[in-house]
Amino acid sequence: MTKNTFWSPYAAGFGLGLTLLATFYLAGWGLGASSAFSLLASVGLNKAHPDFAQRLTYVSQYLNVASPLKNWMLFEVGGLFLGALSAALLSRNFRFQVDRGSSMSTFNRLIAAVSGGIMIGFASRLARGCTSGVALSGGAQLALGGWIFVIAMFASGFIAAALFRRLWR
Amino acid sequence: MTAPLIISEETGLLLAVVLGFFFGLFLERGGLGNPHKLTGVFYLTDFVVPKVMFTAIIVASIGFYFLSDLKLLDLNRVWIVPTFFWPQIAGGALFGIGFVISGYCPGTAVAGLASGRLDALVTLAGISIGSLLFAVVYPVIEDFYQSSPMGDATVPGITGANHWTILALLVIIAGGMFFLMEKFERKVR
Repeated sequence: MTKNTFWSPYAAGFGLGLTLLATFYLAGWGLGASSAFSLLASVGLNKAHPDFAQRLTYVSQYLNVASPLKNWMLFEVGGLFLGALSAALLSRNFRFQVDRGSSMSTFNRLIAAVSGGIMIGFASRLARGCTSGVALSGGAQLALGGWIFVIAMFASGFIAAALFRRLWR
Repeated sequence: MTAPLIISEETGLLLAVVLGFFFGLFLERGGLGNPHKLTGVFYLTDFVVPKVMFTAIIVASIGFYFLSDLKLLDLNRVWIVPTFFWPQIAGGALFGIGFVISGYCPGTAVAGLASGRLDALVTLAGISIGSLLFAVVYPVIEDFYQSSPMGDATVPGITGANHWTILALLVIIAGGMFFLMEKFERKVR
């Protein structure tokens, strides 16, 4: 199904590594992704239920700044979207679809997507970041937290894949 | 001039978009917007995730410590990813399950959405819900969240080894892994 027009993973990894290095050098921190969604969800909750949002300590940390949306990681994730969109369009790899394993219905795929997403959102907050902010950025700094996250993630991923073979096979 | 450079907020946000653009471009071109390729490593069919990830880590890490040794990058002014041992073990473990079930991680879900995948959009909605769920239960799990803090502990720091020794080991291990992955992928196909 996948027509392989992708780059060599080593070439893409090299470019990604240089991008991360440039981020360390210019900004003084690494790349990230998950915190942008924690921020957006917090701002959204504050719009819908301000009293409830302000009572949540973890949410209010995003809100009690001069302008919550003027956030470095949020703009970086905006750039990520534009970069990936440009790459997909230019390589003719853009297609509207619900991408799923061959033995899965569209409905079940979306249930899996939202359930897995909830786990990822929760886990990213607990670990202080995700594969970008902790694994990639922390890993490159040789930060202990980055490497224990990587090891725990791959170990449990292999177990989960064995338990949920039908998801992607 | 020693980096990181001090820049104004506006320049910083512009820089964020530019760096993010390249981040997304390399993710998509590496095939990391595609959940089949993303989950391949867990089913031992496609090793693109560790290949891209460890290549990127090694390239960035060599540059990071090289610039630091040359005094061109002041590590005292770089935000080092903090270590909280048990929360990051637990977070990593839960993350791995979510990764397999949804087929994405946060950054790659954005790349998946940008290549037209609606399942990636639903995953991002889940990630937002999960973040709020964490915020709601935060008072209950705050003690665990703040437990086993190790500050900006690094592997060279805790082992007492030179960072180039650790990096050389990492290059050897990753090189060996890449060799085996290439061999294994050729066999499977």
